[in-house]
Amino acid sequence: MNTLVVVDASRNLRGVSCPMNLVYTKVELSKLRSGQVLEVILDNGAPINNVPGSVLKEGHTIISQEQLADSAWTVMIRKK
Amino acid sequence: MNIRVNGETQVLAEGSVTVARLLDIQQVESPDMVSVQRNGDFVERDNFGSTLLAENDEIEFLYFMGGGACGCLGVRC
Amino acid sequence: MELSDSYLERYSRHILLHDVGVEGQEKLSAAKVLILGAGGLGAPVALYLAAAGVGTIGILDHDLVELSNLQRQVVHFTRDIGAPKVDSARQKMLAINPELIVKTYQDYLCAANIREVIDGYDFVVDGVDNFPTKFLINDACVMAGIPFSHGGILRFDGQTMTVVPGRSACYRCVFRTPPPSDAVPTCSQAGVLGAIAGMLGTIQATEVLKYITGVGDLLTDTLLSFNAKAMTFRRVAIKRQPACPVCGERPTITKLVDAEQSVCDLKR
Repeated sequence: MNTLVVVDASRNLRGVSCPMNLVYTKVELSKLRSGQVLEVILDNGAPINNVPGSVLKEGHTIISQEQLADSAWTVMIRKK
Repeated sequence: MNIRVNGETQVLAEGSVTVARLLDIQQVESPDMVSVQRNGDFVERDNFGSTLLAENDEIEFLYFMGGGACGCLGVRC
Repeated sequence: MELSDSYLERYSRHILLHDVGVEGQEKLSAAKVLILGAGGLGAPVALYLAAAGVGTIGILDHDLVELSNLQRQVVHFTRDIGAPKVDSARQKMLAINPELIVKTYQDYLCAANIREVIDGYDFVVDGVDNFPTKFLINDACVMAGIPFSHGGILRFDGQTMTVVPGRSACYRCVFRTPPPSDAVPTCSQAGVLGAIAGMLGTIQATEVLKYITGVGDLLTDTLLSFNAKAMTFRRVAIKRQPACPVCGERPTITKLVDAEQSVCDLKR
């Protein structure tokens, strides 16, 4: 599935472990307006297993998450 | 049916409600993290789906709560 | 024993209490209390027990102080970052009260060492954050007959319960087995309001002082929970369960085992 999404901000969180990856994700979201899209790159394992769920709980939308060649994940989040 | 959940009166529209259904109605996020007491007795987790509530039941949801220090087991948290 | 003027002055506010008095203070001086975890809950417990003059205080934690601890673990200061938590806590306890004996254990708690660690203590404070260790503490204390205080905090909530083995319901009477690990919101992901640790830890410290001095009614057979957003406190009566696998009539748990993925296994 290749839907075109306009990304308003992006943050590479490779190498950033829990919970600071969530903290940085929240910082980036706080800079956006409602409806804007944030892309974060999260490591495989605990980060991808935890951060999207926490983001969802805060009411934002996960538009997509896809694994990259280096096993990290790109996650698109639409701010609530 | 009127019951009390954690001290607050709840009116249930449905006639026969199991403990499992009540967890659902109350939107308990992780039922695995809850211990349920019914009229002072614990309901075994395996019986959540078969235990029917009755009028005026006193239900307590007791939540698992960790917190404190991580440095005692060595599991990164 | 002749009590010095400084002893009487230091503990005057306890001695003035009708229920405590000189006798109660002397019980505190003779008491041995073990704090498991030098984190959010262990921090206020350590400070208040030291201030109260609990004569021997043990404290166990494997970790080093990190920057992210300082928002709630008030026994550790910025200058302590990188130092073992137990050393940092010991230093503060002795600064408050130099006459104490403080024993430190910079170690993990395992099935293999818990008996030895808790042996000889009058009371144990559970200030650990993970469920397998909470169950291990419960089982070991029930088997050894040592009373303990369970404590837990998450986000804006706290819960505590005091267990006197043989007399009151234990943690397993309420929560039979640890929750599946994938259902547990990790403390670091969920977050916690810092002062909640102080609210709950000081309740635990109060229970210790009550137990040692014999004052009042303990939080036994009772799970106390609070929610700080509404600032509501709720007590739920808990019955000792005859079918409890550790303190019931026919215990099925008779020896201590480590949880899966415990570092205790990795070390061997």
